[in-house]
Amino acid sequence: MKRRLSIFLAVFVLAANICVRAQTNTEVEARKAALDLAGAFTNDGFKIRDGHWCGTIKPHDHALIAVNLYAGNQYWFSAGATEQAKKIAVRVYDESGKQVTTEGYNAGEKAAAGFSPTNSGQYFVSVDLVEGQEGSFCLVYSYK
Amino acid sequence: MICLQRLGAIGVMGIIFVSAGAEIGRLPADQLAKAVRSDSISIPTPGELFAALEKPGKTNWSGQYRGPMSMTYRDRAQIALNLGGLIADGFIAVEAKDSQQVKNIGSDIIKLSKALGVSENLLSRGNSINEFAEHDEWDTLQEELEATQNEVKSSMQSHSDQDLVILVSLGGWVRGTQVVSAAILQNYDERSAKVLRQPALVSLIQSKVGEISPELRSDPLVKNVSEQLAGIGKLVSFPIGKAPSVDEVRKVNEAIGKVMEEIENKAIAK
Repeated sequence: MKRRLSIFLAVFVLAANICVRAQTNTEVEARKAALDLAGAFTNDGFKIRDGHWCGTIKPHDHALIAVNLYAGNQYWFSAGATEQAKKIAVRVYDESGKQVTTEGYNAGEKAAAGFSPTNSGQYFVSVDLVEGQEGSFCLVYSYK
Repeated sequence: MICLQRLGAIGVMGIIFVSAGAEIGRLPADQLAKAVRSDSISIPTPGELFAALEKPGKTNWSGQYRGPMSMTYRDRAQIALNLGGLIADGFIAVEAKDSQQVKNIGSDIIKLSKALGVSENLLSRGNSINEFAEHDEWDTLQEELEATQNEVKSSMQSHSDQDLVILVSLGGWVRGTQVVSAAILQNYDERSAKVLRQPALVSLIQSKVGEISPELRSDPLVKNVSEQLAGIGKLVSFPIGKAPSVDEVRKVNEAIGKVMEEIENKAIAK
């Protein structure tokens, strides 16, 4: 009985580890997609900030993060998601919650929004799952 | 307008657009309040601040250097705060394109990191900084400094020194703001002065400092700096669209200079 229990526990622990690893892998995949997209902006002199934000998004829902930006700089926010996410969108809001007009790029599970703030301060960036199933996403940003 | 001439590199499948007026929406205050606020994305690096300052015209970066920093601090909170300031100094030297200064600061960053016990992987970073400085690779150097700062922070996290991470960011922000406000005073320009408006950032740093352990929060230096942040938060709360006047910039510079003095002062820490 004890042996069966220990085998069960070993299998459970292994399965749990695989699940955790799989989740990490999807975030790595999403991060790679985001960095691929952000890499294109480096041709235009944008520096990719060495930091990222990963998480999970559900259909017709969004994930929201606060950023602090400086007037005078130009920014691109690039997001990547796993394949289950058929279409994502990146939107930027000012400190009052009003959506900011941005230039955008959309290609299925990759999307980016770019703008030059005229005021320094807090902004909010949302990653929206427009079409597809729940999955991992990752956001990075570039500035110049 | 952001130049997109080379965006074709992304591929033809993508469509670049400017979001139309009809799509413009608004997020309610309760959603904004729940937004994630993380050290790695929500707190800008000194490099971002300096990039914005540089836009309206040339800045005298070498005029912002300070004397050599003490490497013999004993208080861990004080070391973390000074390490953040030193990394900001590294960004200043990169902006000044001063390879010797970059090398000196790189070496000091390693020394201070050693004092916190987080230097195992940093030695190679120090070597890279020297190499890039010798070859005048300024963009790469900026990335390397940012990566060094992140490596220090992740090393702190893995050594259960999570609480020190925000102090590194705080030290970097204080030194960055001191330099920027001084540079604006030397050559006032409304566009440059606008970078000083950061009330939410100060409030975020305050709330992160409020989350650290009660023991570290009661450190005399952390307590002092934390108390002064509230006043500085008010000084950098300029109305949207209004550039701070010379007098307002001077007030920020004096207040932040006082905090920097305390961070550097060997006598204040326990």
